[in-house]
Amino acid sequence: MKILSVMIGTLLLLAPLAAPAAEAPVGSVKAVKGTVSIIRVAAAVEAKSGTRVYRNDILRTGADGSMSMVFRDDTLLSLGPGSELTVNEFVFSPADGKLSMVTRLLKGSAVYLSGIIARLSPESVRFETPVANIGIRGTMFAVRVDPE
Amino acid sequence: MKARGIFLLCALALVSLTSCARNKGMVVLLPDPDGKVGRVVVSNKGGTQVLKNAGHMVEVPDADKAPLPPVAMDAGQIGRNFGEAMSLVPPPPIHFILYFKTDTTELTEESRKLLAQVLPTTVERRSTDVSVVGHTDTTGTREYNCNLGMERALLIKKILVSLGSDPAYIEVTSHGEGNPLVKTADEVPEPRNRRVEVVVR
Repeated sequence: MKILSVMIGTLLLLAPLAAPAAEAPVGSVKAVKGTVSIIRVAAAVEAKSGTRVYRNDILRTGADGSMSMVFRDDTLLSLGPGSELTVNEFVFSPADGKLSMVTRLLKGSAVYLSGIIARLSPESVRFETPVANIGIRGTMFAVRVDPE
Repeated sequence: MKARGIFLLCALALVSLTSCARNKGMVVLLPDPDGKVGRVVVSNKGGTQVLKNAGHMVEVPDADKAPLPPVAMDAGQIGRNFGEAMSLVPPPPIHFILYFKTDTTELTEESRKLLAQVLPTTVERRSTDVSVVGHTDTTGTREYNCNLGMERALLIKKILVSLGSDPAYIEVTSHGEGNPLVKTADEVPEPRNRRVEVVVR
């Protein structure tokens, strides 16, 4: 009985940690240069080509770093040095008509080429920054946020 | 207790620092890799600007101030601001579109040849991220089509693995009738939409 409750306790403790892995990834890293990290549930994950990226991950590049990733819906994203970006929302489920994507660049620079979600449902895609939001009508753009 | 007080003070100082930090930004419209130019809308509390021309830039002086009207930016300026990020833009994923002979789980001749190219492409791209996605036309219910797409996709994964692809790299999913190649009304048979796409990233 005691062992069982310990086991249940352990499972309960592990449950929140296991959550991101149970959810499908939003995409994967394609290339990295210099210092790059992915922060997942407050812990750093090694960023290399093929590393899966999940919702709420923080992608961070150092002063010498840059990286790129490919989303599940073919959206392409790359980050220049000194950048920080989060994927706040990513739902790519055409089978039941559920589509949405919200990305937020907190600082630094990014180049973004929209994918299938923007093609199927442009109004469901938003790119946010601390100074303005960007609505995407199927295209490629570059965006940069610097301290004043 | 004292330590906690100091911690609280530090936390407060940090909060006020970040909330006081002011940012400025810029957005530049670029041509798509295929040459097409789309449109982006830049908006905040102060107002909205629309970018329609490739190489044009909208500056945002502050979160509270309206974005400025678009101005042309030359290649040098774009390179100085975005060079590193632009140099790493990945090539678009390759989609292999596979068809079955009508009402069978047997691939057409062309599709069988195409399927054989998936592994070499994966190796050439050094990709460890491949999706196999089932698609259907709009005849039947959404749920039925979702399951049908999944069945076809699982079959293709099996063949890919038998041809030497690493199953750990392959994700299988179904878009059912929700992501057609050719847009149709509901309940329209369309052979071009009954397909499996293998996406190599």
